[in-house]
Amino acid sequence: MNYTFQYGVVWKNLGELFDGAILTFQLGAVSFAGGALIGLFCAALIAYGPFILRLPVHVYVVAVTNTPALIQIYFLYYGLPEFGIRWSSEACLLIGLILNAGAYLTLIMRAGFLSVRRTELEAGQVLGLSIVQQVRYIVVPHIAKSIYPAMANFFIVILVMGTSIGSLIGVDELTGQAINLSSVNYRWLEYFTVVALMYVVLTFIASVGLALLGRWAFRVKARIF
Amino acid sequence: MLHLGVNDIRASYGALEVLRGISMSVKKGEISALVGPSGSGKSTVLRALVGLTPITGGNIEIAGQTIDYRSARSVRAARDTMAIVFQQYNLFQNMTVMGNVTFAPIKIKRRPVAEVEAQAKKLLDLVGLGDKHGAYPDQLSGGQQQRVAIARALALEPKILLLDEVTSALDPELVTEVLDTIRRLAGEGMTMILVSHEMAFVREVANQVVFMDRGEIIESGTPREIFDNPKTDRAQDFFSKILRH
Ligand SMILES: Nc1ncnc2c1ncn2[C@@H]1O[C@H](COP(=O)(O)OP(=O)(O)OP(=O)(O)O)[C@@H](O)[C@H]1O
Ligand SMILES: [Mg+2]
Repeated sequence: MNYTFQYGVVWKNLGELFDGAILTFQLGAVSFAGGALIGLFCAALIAYGPFILRLPVHVYVVAVTNTPALIQIYFLYYGLPEFGIRWSSEACLLIGLILNAGAYLTLIMRAGFLSVRRTELEAGQVLGLSIVQQVRYIVVPHIAKSIYPAMANFFIVILVMGTSIGSLIGVDELTGQAINLSSVNYRWLEYFTVVALMYVVLTFIASVGLALLGRWAFRVKARIF
Repeated sequence: MLHLGVNDIRASYGALEVLRGISMSVKKGEISALVGPSGSGKSTVLRALVGLTPITGGNIEIAGQTIDYRSARSVRAARDTMAIVFQQYNLFQNMTVMGNVTFAPIKIKRRPVAEVEAQAKKLLDLVGLGDKHGAYPDQLSGGQQQRVAIARALALEPKILLLDEVTSALDPELVTEVLDTIRRLAGEGMTMILVSHEMAFVREVANQVVFMDRGEIIESGTPREIFDNPKTDRAQDFFSKILRH
């Protein structure tokens, strides 16, 4: 093998890679937050809702969790224009990821809802809490604590695997940026070793942040590694 | 003065009718004890009072006002008057001891935080947990959790206190502590309904003893009437077994 690594060109374009990393982080965070809201809502419906509302939630969850995220996003990006709906690549990625995360987080949160002790809710009820207050003060803290590790893991999945799908539809997140830059001068190996390192740093920061947050907010004893 | 009237109430779990016409009246400042074998429906009576188990017949009145359990406002008024301490404590696991005691007064009753916290400190001292303010329920023993539950109920300043087997999970030394707390409340004129297996204690503090079996009241009367001269075979049988322990 007579390949010589030349990182000079990567250093020159490091700024653009950083921009990509920041976009990756933003996409991951927004998708996760949006998905968490959908998940909370759908899990609450599954736990407390009437059958007619539980059914569409089940259909949504099954449909999304049994198809690849890539196909879902391709559908939004290439499929919807056939019906006259044309969104930017960023919007397709974000909406796709949010819907995808929403379905997975519904499953994760449903487990949390099911593990809330009925007796605790009854105590809240006789103390005068409304249903909304019971969810806010008893259910949400409980599921936050009991499913926090699963949620945190899922955030990493979205952050690394989810967002990088964007590169295939022209979003300049970290992977997309690396593809753009390396296709100019064919320094694939250099770019991708640096990008891999950046992903590691990104997930490390996210893991530590999440572990500290969990410990502080929910008394979760999460391991960082 | 009649404080609480329970008139021929019925309740079911599915097809199983667990309360089959229960009537009792509790006067202000008096203590009524519900006793009877396991599964006889004692907890269900207390749950029906606070609207956790729906009644399918009869009615319940407080100070002459019938509670309408279908009306949210009426139920809220009833829950303002009564506080219940559950057999399994039912503490909020995600809140500290202090949080459990102060939560409803601050968030629901909207009383001033400083006042509620000062009151909570006194109540926790009263139940012997003055040093556990910051602990979470899963860091406490069963007996300690039970006493937090009592403090939480008292923080609501109820007119009527419902206590469900509050000593069943306690070590003997703690039983004494909790019973002392109840005795003190009795001395202060709190109206109480308590479910208990501590017959000696019931005999000491209760004004009225109600003996239940299979969802019915078999006998009721003063402790002396019920314990010393039970009229029915079932009561005789039950007390002879339980008092022999
Ligand atoms: N959630 C429930 N679902 C179905 N049946 C129930 C439920 N809770 C109680 N029961 C039944 O109702 C009956 C009365 O129960 P309850 O808890 O009132 O008895 P208890 O007198 O308090 O007994 P213990 O002394 O064991 O606490 C029992 O037969 C019990 O099995
Ligand atoms: Mg009971």
